[in-house]
Amino acid sequence: MMRLLELDIKNFGKFHNRNIELYDGLHLVYGENESGKSTIHTFIRAMLFGLERKRGRGSANDTFSRYEPWDNENYYAGGLQFECGGKRFSLQRNFDKYSKKASLVCVTDGEQMSVEDGDLDMLLDGLSSSSYENTLYIGQLHAPTTQELASELKNYAASYYVAGDSEINLAAAIENLFTKKKAVDKEIKKAIHEKQKKRESIGQEASYVWRDIHHMDDKIESIKKELELREVKEEESPREKELENEWVKKRFTDALRPAKWRIHPFEIIGILALIVFAFLLLPNPWNSFVTVVVALLGAIYVWNRMKIGKRAERTESEEILEEMIPEEELVSTDKLIWELEHLTEERKEKQIEYDNLQEQLQEQDELGDEYQKLDRKREALLLAAKQLEDTSSDMQKQLTGLLNQKASEIIERITGGKYKRLVADVNLHMSLVGEGRLVAMEQVSQGTLEQIYFALRMAVAEVLYQEKYPVVLDDTFAFYDDGRLKETLKWLAGCGRQVILFSCQKREEEIMKRNGIHYAKTVL
Amino acid sequence: MIAGDLFHRQPLLRELKEVNYLFGSLSKTQVVLAAGNHDYIKKNSYYRTFVWSPNVHMILSSEISHIELAELDTAIYGLSYYEKEKSEPLYEKIQIKDNCSYRILLAHGGDEKHLPFRKRYVEAAGFDYVALGHIHKPQELSPNRMIYAGALEPIDKNDTGRHGLVKGSLKNSGCRTEFVPVAFREYIHMDIEVSEDMTGYALRTQIEQEIQKQGVQNLYQVILKGFKDPEVQFDLYHMDTFGNIVGIVDDTIPAFDFLKLLANNRDNLMGKYIERFGDAELTSVEYQALCEGVRALLETKRG
Repeated sequence: MMRLLELDIKNFGKFHNRNIELYDGLHLVYGENESGKSTIHTFIRAMLFGLERKRGRGSANDTFSRYEPWDNENYYAGGLQFECGGKRFSLQRNFDKYSKKASLVCVTDGEQMSVEDGDLDMLLDGLSSSSYENTLYIGQLHAPTTQELASELKNYAASYYVAGDSEINLAAAIENLFTKKKAVDKEIKKAIHEKQKKRESIGQEASYVWRDIHHMDDKIESIKKELELREVKEEESPREKELENEWVKKRFTDALRPAKWRIHPFEIIGILALIVFAFLLLPNPWNSFVTVVVALLGAIYVWNRMKIGKRAERTESEEILEEMIPEEELVSTDKLIWELEHLTEERKEKQIEYDNLQEQLQEQDELGDEYQKLDRKREALLLAAKQLEDTSSDMQKQLTGLLNQKASEIIERITGGKYKRLVADVNLHMSLVGEGRLVAMEQVSQGTLEQIYFALRMAVAEVLYQEKYPVVLDDTFAFYDDGRLKETLKWLAGCGRQVILFSCQKREEEIMKRNGIHYAKTVL
Repeated sequence: MIAGDLFHRQPLLRELKEVNYLFGSLSKTQVVLAAGNHDYIKKNSYYRTFVWSPNVHMILSSEISHIELAELDTAIYGLSYYEKEKSEPLYEKIQIKDNCSYRILLAHGGDEKHLPFRKRYVEAAGFDYVALGHIHKPQELSPNRMIYAGALEPIDKNDTGRHGLVKGSLKNSGCRTEFVPVAFREYIHMDIEVSEDMTGYALRTQIEQEIQKQGVQNLYQVILKGFKDPEVQFDLYHMDTFGNIVGIVDDTIPAFDFLKLLANNRDNLMGKYIERFGDAELTSVEYQALCEGVRALLETKRG
């Protein structure tokens, strides 16, 4: 339980060196209008959570400037004594912009603590300025604060839970899991990529072999063609000879010539003889002229013969062959046959090599152990994230249940049993159950509405915070009838918290007196 | 005696020439082989036409047939694969057709898709010895009579244990075999027990020592077992001191003290989360998810 013990308002708003001692249980702070009640609860909030200046135009009428001391505005400070976890603390703050600072001392064991390092936050255990305003500070129901309250509750239930001295952060944990999942995804991708690379390299090797095979096919094809051609030639050769014989009848010199010779030696001897004969037998000056003519004619004849030899037929396949085998003209049919056999053998070998590579490629499709392990890890991470979310949503439901239970207890007390149950969903949409029927919020009076929010806030405070923080009530009860006010005050007196009750009316005090409710009182 | 799969795929001619040369250089040995499911006799297989050295005998028939080694007074039965799979139990109904003193069956397969057989049926056929192939791991189906010799060298990282050949002598008194380990290397699946207080350096040192103890020439698949400190992440890429580690599998379980965590977090998300998994098996995906979730919660804890 946390208790505020003493407010030491050094210079804050209208107050200057004002000391207010606060007591256990119900503490009534009575003050007429403009006596400074709001200043005091703003002071409490400022002491606990600090007082931040708004920036720019907003600063003109923010809380900071509203409560700037009336005199000596450079001295804007105060102190707060409080008790928490059985120890007493003294908190001092300077709010003004020049000497802004906060100091915290544990009075019980004299330990100097540090607000900057979060020692105060630790004592307040997760309570923030906004959650304080949404739960523990209860004013009149001016504006529907339910939305904020609902989001506070949701945030609480969904994102973190107070757990000893450490807090669990659901959103961050789930984010953490998804980051890890992404890393695993990346590794899986890499493994697949590597596999793909391996496959590609085998594929490439196969494509080289395939190219070789095709090259060989071309060679084999052209050798075959050439061989066929030669066979045809051989078949045709008898007829060719006949033709040649006819030729011989016309040109008998050809017959004399050995088959492979283009020009017979006799022809050359004959030509030479003719030249000599012409030179010797013919009279001068004719002989030299005729000799030159005969020599020229002989040369032309020889030239022509050579040309015929060169003009010998050449097929396309021969040309290809020539490219492949430089000494084409020397390639014998036997050699070509040998070459064909050799190529066919080699091609078969290559084909087997190619098939083996294809087989290897097919085997590559199976993914290895490593992949399975990664996949499993991925699955585990996803499962973890899902289970975390499910656990959290279950807890949220449980929390809402708990909240309904607490709120129902309070509303039943306050309304003297008229309303038995208050049902709020996760978004804090509420309905009342009274006298056996469901009552919509629109149907109840302003007073009942105030009581519903009171019950809800108190329930949220009970459910959310393990620490029992003080409750600050600021003219909360204006719309309450006497009966319900009595029940509310009775409940507050027994709720186990310090209750600071600001009021500008005497009603509360009278009811407390009449009903023997123990209270302390400060008059402003 | 080569009981199939002399080659892992279709042999090339030059490979056959090579192996034939080696076989041919054996001066006192007869070699008998058949094709297995890996080097099965395809349409264009060189096995169909290859001419082996005189001391090499290949059983080419797709049905059970036999060859006789007159010098040794021995008949050898067997068949060659002509397709990758063959599920008829051909080895169970062998007709004996020879008059030799000794009879050996050269058989490849034995599993469901590769000529399955039941031991007693093959035993009943009256072979002095059954030389089995197909399974890479050496194993005896029947001592001195029916043995998978296994691969001479291990050929896959899961091919653990010793490898070698079976040497047998066949006499009137029966067959006596012995296993001769000839493999230069072994694949070893090495379990390393990790403890909670083990650091990366300690792990590396332990792996190093283990490998030295079991032989640096061997190849290791390291499997980390046991419980490790949840905070420690081992750098598995820098454990291969000798360059003979094929892979490291981390099967360790993070040593979360779930009971303690549960006791400290009974009412919060972590506690409920742990409770949700109840008693998941240590090896299950659920347990892994439990560890990952708790790890994520601890890593993202505020304050």
